[in-house]
Amino acid sequence: MDRRDFIKLTAITGTSATLASCGNPEHQLIRFVPDDDIVPGVAEWKPSVCPMCAAGCGVTVRVMDADVETVRSGQAGVVKMAVAKKLEGNPKDPISQGGLCARGQASIQLTYHPDRLVHPMKRTGARGSGEYKEITWDEAIAELTGQLDTLAAARDQKSVTFLTRPHRGRRTALAAELLKSFGAAAPITYELFADEVLRRANAISFGHEQLPTIDLARSRFAISFGADFLGTWNSPVAQSAAYGAMRQGRPGVRGAFVQVESRMSLTGASADEWVPVKPGTEGVLALGLAHAILAGKRPADAGRAGAAIEGWTSGLPDYTPAKVEQITGVAAKKIERIAHSLVELQPTVAFIGGAPLAQTNGLFSALAVNALNALLGNVGQPGGISFTPGGGADLGRPLGGASSAPTLGSAKVLLLDDVNPIFASPKAWKVREAIAAIPFIASFSSFLDDTSIMADLILPDHSFLESWVDSAPESGSMDAVPTNAGPVMKPLYSTRATAEVLIEVAGKLKSPLALPWKTAEEVAKSTAKASPQPPAPSPKSPARFAEPVFDGDATAYPFHFLPYASLQFGDGSSAHLPWLQEMPDPLTSAMWSSWVEINPQTAERLRLAQGDLVDVTSSQGTVRAPVMIFPGIAPDIVAMPVGQGHEAFTRYATGRGVNPVSILAPATEPETGALAWAATRVKIARAGDPDGKLIMFAGEMREHPHEGKTR
Amino acid sequence: MAHKWGMAVDLDTCTGCGACVTACHAENNIPTVGDEQAARGRAMHWLRVERYWEGDFPDVRLKFRPVMCQQCDAAPCEPVCPTYASHHTAEGLNAQVYNRCIGTRYCANACPYNVRFFDFFNPQWPKPLHLQLNPDVSIREVGVMEKCTFCVQRISAASIDAKAEKRELKDGDIKPACVQSCSARAMVFGDLNDPESEVSRLSRSPRGGKLLEDVGTLPKVTYLARQTQV
Repeated sequence: MDRRDFIKLTAITGTSATLASCGNPEHQLIRFVPDDDIVPGVAEWKPSVCPMCAAGCGVTVRVMDADVETVRSGQAGVVKMAVAKKLEGNPKDPISQGGLCARGQASIQLTYHPDRLVHPMKRTGARGSGEYKEITWDEAIAELTGQLDTLAAARDQKSVTFLTRPHRGRRTALAAELLKSFGAAAPITYELFADEVLRRANAISFGHEQLPTIDLARSRFAISFGADFLGTWNSPVAQSAAYGAMRQGRPGVRGAFVQVESRMSLTGASADEWVPVKPGTEGVLALGLAHAILAGKRPADAGRAGAAIEGWTSGLPDYTPAKVEQITGVAAKKIERIAHSLVELQPTVAFIGGAPLAQTNGLFSALAVNALNALLGNVGQPGGISFTPGGGADLGRPLGGASSAPTLGSAKVLLLDDVNPIFASPKAWKVREAIAAIPFIASFSSFLDDTSIMADLILPDHSFLESWVDSAPESGSMDAVPTNAGPVMKPLYSTRATAEVLIEVAGKLKSPLALPWKTAEEVAKSTAKASPQPPAPSPKSPARFAEPVFDGDATAYPFHFLPYASLQFGDGSSAHLPWLQEMPDPLTSAMWSSWVEINPQTAERLRLAQGDLVDVTSSQGTVRAPVMIFPGIAPDIVAMPVGQGHEAFTRYATGRGVNPVSILAPATEPETGALAWAATRVKIARAGDPDGKLIMFAGEMREHPHEGKTR
Repeated sequence: MAHKWGMAVDLDTCTGCGACVTACHAENNIPTVGDEQAARGRAMHWLRVERYWEGDFPDVRLKFRPVMCQQCDAAPCEPVCPTYASHHTAEGLNAQVYNRCIGTRYCANACPYNVRFFDFFNPQWPKPLHLQLNPDVSIREVGVMEKCTFCVQRISAASIDAKAEKRELKDGDIKPACVQSCSARAMVFGDLNDPESEVSRLSRSPRGGKLLEDVGTLPKVTYLARQTQV
């Protein structure tokens, strides 16, 4: 054998060895070569959109090769493929501007979560037991199509309900189109910390049913009424970038800001002046400031925003500093001083968000702040507020407990998409009972959460990194920012993009529906029809202050109860990510825990120490959690972060802590029907010694809080 | 001239949001230890956000300070190490050689900033969470000490890229994970030996100061004090 023959022979045996092993992926030589267009060890960066909140930050994803245990064509094996490694803010994106918050950083764990649902499933055990068996996609789609066909045959198309989060993406448009052509009502949306009240107020005051973009970067003085704009409200990354520029981005000018709230939020900690007010009186303070400004020489021109307030043209006689001091508890001198700053330090801006809007008089407070803002003359001006073009998309009909709001009432088929209302709505709304009574439930969730565990059929979605994604942010930028991006990696499992499942179902019905899209890509790339802004609603009558109504008698329930969106978990939808569970809360350093924040003096009066268990009781029920002595909270308020207390939500969040939303009273803001989640009163009672469940990264809240004191 | 890496943190723009904390976990393969171990003080955060409450309600204030390894020039952690695992590099970093570390924990005792973390057990990433691991950063096993490296893997990568392109490193070429994630741009990283770099400029600020300056550790992280409105 000469050299040439040897090479030939080697080539033949080598090739046949490779071919012979092709049947089993485990033995494929090919598995050492990535099936993606990627060089081993060399990172690529691909764009995507963060799915964690409605802000819609553009991100770049670091993609590298890795050995992945997966199932391909029905066979388990190891393949080398390109996978996401890390997310960064996209410097070219006007929203994220290269930054990314903690939740965005952790969103990669949505893809790699060990308890992700990896294939379609059909329920085998009792509802809520979490017992499922694996089925094929064909079976799953046939099941769902069959349910819809049954309804169509009975001419009962109206009994399909699609429940989702108010997405900023095109997926809701697809669902809406599907439901419309099927003959059902539009999707119902639910989000605990939705901003419906503010959208309504902005429609009345400015003609934009939309959240504002705040041009902090060019503002010299800002006043925020309860809006946690650096932590959880609206578009925190864009707002933090603007905040950095406001403080140190201009030579010689350092913008200042005042935070009005009764429990210090992450944002309140950065304020130059922190002004606690009585809950539900924020609008009065805004009008007190307006009164002081109107008393000066400034013309009272605030357009329709002013016209929405009773007594505006006559200089707001009911809101003199003295009267406002009486109502809000903020000293008259302080009101005059802040009013002076608002006039002198132009451009100035005022905005409202969070708890003040979650009172029964939330709409009044929002209208009052809007009028103040219009008076400052900075609506649509540099350093003021503006409205992102194309950000006013139709967000669907919000689920509500109010009589006028849609309910799950008579639904026979319920489709759940990225929404967890059983966890995030008050028990008194009886969402669990309503859902349990629905004959057929299908969920597109990637995880078994409190609501999806009720589903009869699970059609798991791809993770956002495996899908086409798109967003049209409502705020955070002066310009329209419609974004879409392709998948950054191949799917790890036998999941399917929900958009494609919906399209397939529409096509397989007995009377197929014609949808304008064929693939998820087409959905993501399509643009919303430019719908004209709906005619601005006029208020029934000019708004005036009405005392906020709280559930629970002040003697029996002496404390205001404030459940707040947690920095890590928002409304609880990211409680299953281990990085966020172990991230110390910046204000308390707590990890993996629930807690009740209590003012130090109140705690001393009630003989409560850090970590003691307390029962927090409202008219609706009781939750038991450890005490966190919290210096930044009014003595008559107790606060709890929302996010823990899931009955089902993977190994990291199931059964951990308690859910403060469960004891909320079903109070609503009457105009919009939105849940007034800050309008519940509670009582607290010591329930026991520390049980070790309050886990903190730092030792104490203060350096030596008990020095020289005995309990 | 050799580089001397340093950082400046502007406490006037830092909002305490904790993005840097999670970004650091993502970049550096820092394990989560779970609730039981966290309760025993074994949670690992190379970077933490400290909080300082001042005053009583209603005149209460809260200040944040992100604290990572201060990369001291006179580092107390280095001379106490019997195996030279904790040592000073030519570019001024306090490096930790995991393969040399025998887990005496002397360095953690000596560090006045409490930024060194001991691996009490082998890290665990229930599959497929291991796919998130950064291949550029080694995984630490049980019995070694770990700490902030100023994202030395990013420093090396940028230096190699610059060398391949036959150019000098520019100011801003290197961003550790915490700096990159910071939306408010409160953190700046760069070369302190370059007087024109932004980090040098900020380090000379009259607002600048070092953490526990009086213990004489010569930190390379400068904190710019939060301003108050007049």
